[in-house]
Amino acid sequence: MDLDALTGCLASSACLVTQGTSGFIIGMLLFLVAVGLTLIFGVLKVVNFSHGAFYMFGAYFAMTAYQLTGSFALAMLCGAAGTAILGLVFERVFMSRVYGSDVLMQLLVCYAFVLIFDDVVRWIWGPEFKSMGMPTAFQVPPLFIGGGVVPPYYLLLIGVALAVAAILGLGLARTRIGKVVRAAAHNPGMVSALGINTGLIYGSVFALGGMLAGLAGALAAPVRSLTPGMGFSVLIESFIVTVIGGMGSILGALLGALLIGLIRSFGSLGFPLFTDGLMYLFMVIVLVARPTGLFGKEVA
Amino acid sequence: MTELQAERAGKPLGVPRIEAKSQRSRYLDVLIAIAAFAVLATLPFLFSSKALLDFVIRCAAFGLFATSLNLLVGYTGMISFGHGMFFGLGAYSFALIMQRTGVPIPVAFICTLLITTVIAAVIGAICVRLKEIYFAFVTLAFQMLIHSMILSWVSLTGGDQGLRGGIPRPVFLGVDLSNYLHLYVVSCALLVIGLLLMRQIAQSPFGYTLRMIRDNAVRASFIGIDVWRAKLTIFVLAALFASTGGIIMSLFVSGAYPEFAFWTISGEGIFINMLGGVTTFLGPMVGTVLLLIMNDTVTRLTEYYGIVLGIVILFFAIGLRKGLMDFVVEWYEVRRDGAKERAR
Amino acid sequence: MTKKSKPGVSRRSTLALMGAGAVTFATPWVARAQAKTIKVGMPTILSGRVAQLGTSSRNGVTIEVDKINAAGGLAGRQIEMVIRDSKGQPQEAARVARELVNTDGCELLIDAEASSGAFAVHEVARDLGVFCIHTNSETSSLTADPKQHIPNAFRTARQGVHDSIVGGGYAAAIAKAKGLKKWATCSPDYAYGRDTTAEFVYYLKQFAPDVEIISDAWPKLFQPDYTEVVTKILQAKPQALYSALWGGDLTSYIDQANIYALFSQMEVFAVNMADYTALTVVKNLPKGIHSGNRYIKTYPATAENAAWADAYKAKFNEYPTNWSWENATAMMLLAEASRKANSADGKKIADAMRGLTIKSPFGADGTVTMRAEDQTLIGYAIGWGTTIPSEPYVPEVKSGDWKQILALEAEWKKSKGYT
Repeated sequence: MDLDALTGCLASSACLVTQGTSGFIIGMLLFLVAVGLTLIFGVLKVVNFSHGAFYMFGAYFAMTAYQLTGSFALAMLCGAAGTAILGLVFERVFMSRVYGSDVLMQLLVCYAFVLIFDDVVRWIWGPEFKSMGMPTAFQVPPLFIGGGVVPPYYLLLIGVALAVAAILGLGLARTRIGKVVRAAAHNPGMVSALGINTGLIYGSVFALGGMLAGLAGALAAPVRSLTPGMGFSVLIESFIVTVIGGMGSILGALLGALLIGLIRSFGSLGFPLFTDGLMYLFMVIVLVARPTGLFGKEVA
Repeated sequence: MTELQAERAGKPLGVPRIEAKSQRSRYLDVLIAIAAFAVLATLPFLFSSKALLDFVIRCAAFGLFATSLNLLVGYTGMISFGHGMFFGLGAYSFALIMQRTGVPIPVAFICTLLITTVIAAVIGAICVRLKEIYFAFVTLAFQMLIHSMILSWVSLTGGDQGLRGGIPRPVFLGVDLSNYLHLYVVSCALLVIGLLLMRQIAQSPFGYTLRMIRDNAVRASFIGIDVWRAKLTIFVLAALFASTGGIIMSLFVSGAYPEFAFWTISGEGIFINMLGGVTTFLGPMVGTVLLLIMNDTVTRLTEYYGIVLGIVILFFAIGLRKGLMDFVVEWYEVRRDGAKERAR
Repeated sequence: MTKKSKPGVSRRSTLALMGAGAVTFATPWVARAQAKTIKVGMPTILSGRVAQLGTSSRNGVTIEVDKINAAGGLAGRQIEMVIRDSKGQPQEAARVARELVNTDGCELLIDAEASSGAFAVHEVARDLGVFCIHTNSETSSLTADPKQHIPNAFRTARQGVHDSIVGGGYAAAIAKAKGLKKWATCSPDYAYGRDTTAEFVYYLKQFAPDVEIISDAWPKLFQPDYTEVVTKILQAKPQALYSALWGGDLTSYIDQANIYALFSQMEVFAVNMADYTALTVVKNLPKGIHSGNRYIKTYPATAENAAWADAYKAKFNEYPTNWSWENATAMMLLAEASRKANSADGKKIADAMRGLTIKSPFGADGTVTMRAEDQTLIGYAIGWGTTIPSEPYVPEVKSGDWKQILALEAEWKKSKGYT
């Protein structure tokens, strides 16, 4: 424990700004990964345990595309599109068979795919870790924004995260498709009685969730090493974020991610050896005080 | 949120009620237990394979753990994702007491159970009022908290390296646990006694209270059952058996490692339950044996263990849609009913 | 995986001829033993995030086993490796190790586990009394702590404290020359990271007393995002940074620190940088990172070392890693000890191995020694240098002085209460 460092930082405005900025950055990176998880839960009521595996595939797809084409944009596209297709197939062929069963069966199917996907990646790309490398366009010195340090690449990631939040938030609230999806989440029987193909909706939502995970993986590939099993810690983090924010709530995920980001950035000053423990402790407190999370609604 | 509100929305797990058993079947249970122990105890004289003994000891550790989890999952409808924390707690408490104090093994055993009781009561008191998936989340969060505490508290637990240096095993009542045969017999005894006790809990009036809570907590509380207390009681009891499993494991590896308290152990417990089936008492035990056999043979044959295990899981989850014992029992019932039909 | 560990058919027939030649002057006992292969069990990690540890360990062992078998095996018995995945779980490592001995009939163990797995296998070796060489655990206490000591277990891995003594001396010299007084550390939060960092800092201060540690960051093992530790270090504005991060964590850290331009603001000392696993992977490797050698083809700069690396590359189509040489060394020592004892019996090999010095491509002076008192490897090549982003990656390595290492290690052991 190093409480002096923490209080010292809280007293200095320069430190507050820089650590606050990095907390914000961490939060936005977390949100990018977590949003797909919360979306799928919100509509399908499935805790997509294989979310981390989609993240991993996104990163590997992007790396391979980048190595083949050298185009960063194409790499991101491949990461997102590849996992969207994977998500669609996964949902239609496997997940759709266990919607009627209890939650444990759904978890088992997801767990099975975590195991399979990890081995498939090891089989295709090998056990050694890989690195995609930063595109030259982003190999520039970091910017100073309002006293905080922000690397340009993270500026891009924050932009994407905010755009995703806005599109999903507005799309679900305002558009016709959004309304149908919300209706399907609320009362699938009624929606299908109205002649709307719920299978199509479920499949699309899962594809979208997978795509978001894959996009997050693709965007993370230039700064994080790629290895089979890399989705594991990411899954845990996004899980914490969505549980704190409330499973199913986009806004909750955003808030949960930012809170965790701040806990990490300031926790690493005050409790360098117990930063993760702080996150779990916070999760316990939130769950005990408000079981549905900060923005969650009761799940019927 | 009150218990009433919490349970109204909760859907019961698809576990059929288990018919009441008479007093006679209780004696039968004891007889079966004694017979099972006798069979297990003679194994070392029939087979010279040490690997078989290893296997049975591991089955005892995981079997107690998985069966105790089924008390929560199958009988009470409480899906715990954090049950493994008590497995780890048992292993660490026991190993630490033996390493630090040098008390006789039975004393350490009882102390470990006492520690587990206290910690499980505290955690349970916080957790059990939550329903369904939120109960699962909060138990998981506690598990991760305990795991990260084990990692951080290096001076006590040895951190990620685990407790090293072996567990001292002074002889008590003529039992020498450093002798492998003794360890084997003690493990078997713990397993059989543990299973018998859990069976008694499941078949007792309290066990039927639990099933009622699982099926309809609102009705249970209307007829005067204190749902919170019943859930807490079974939470603590289940923790005790999980902790015993952890003790066996710590003796088997002669140490304790943070992986014992990691959530993957809880996940494995759930998986064992789904594999074996949650509707029969022995389902989790069957699941344990299946998973361990699968683990041991598949890792011998291929390093792509995940793919094989994943496909097996899919077979159970999507193909059978139930555990092996559930499947067997249902198949048997259908056949029996069919025979009755024909007889008429 | 068994395919690699067994010699090919054609080679086996030639071996049979060689064996037949040996029989003519060997005792009947040896002839009987020759009929039987000797199984060597190897629990390691072949799946998950550190699967590379297992594959390079396996490669390192395989390349030597092939040579040993071609030369007649262990006391005339062909070696058959039985390699199993423990998935990185200590209870699985213990289980696999027991099974290898009890069921598969392995007479010797090569423990290629990392971290806690090695301690779990150590307990198995204690229990079963089977001969065992730990090849990957660098945690000093495994052999330094007399409580851990058992006569049948050895270690051929580096030892954290050796690296730290050399690293501390090297870093202190640079600190003095460049006036680096304010230091920060950033190491993974687990035993290896904590211990080596503490030891490095200890020796850095010994050699350069006016050095001061102004900040320390402890990311978790396999942490995906290092933003808070990068900014924490930048915030503290140190002149130099020490890190014991390794493998994928190190490359992630470098990639993420790079976009914060961390490397232009301080001297960086990363003990685990100079290993091909990291060097060949990082795309934008900053120039001038100071690193200890893990495995480098050009250090020691001998023909033997280069030839060994080339043979390895030719066979497995990848460069050897730190784990490769550590495991290869275990087999080389095993072969030599068995030859000296003229036996494949674990006890006799153990007796012969204590204090054994063998010729080795990885030795600082062309030899490595299995020190008798604590049964751990000494005399291996150890040094520090600065990295460049392309081959040979570490053009100049400043060698550590083993006389000094051993003297300081003895002091360290005393301070820990080990001797």
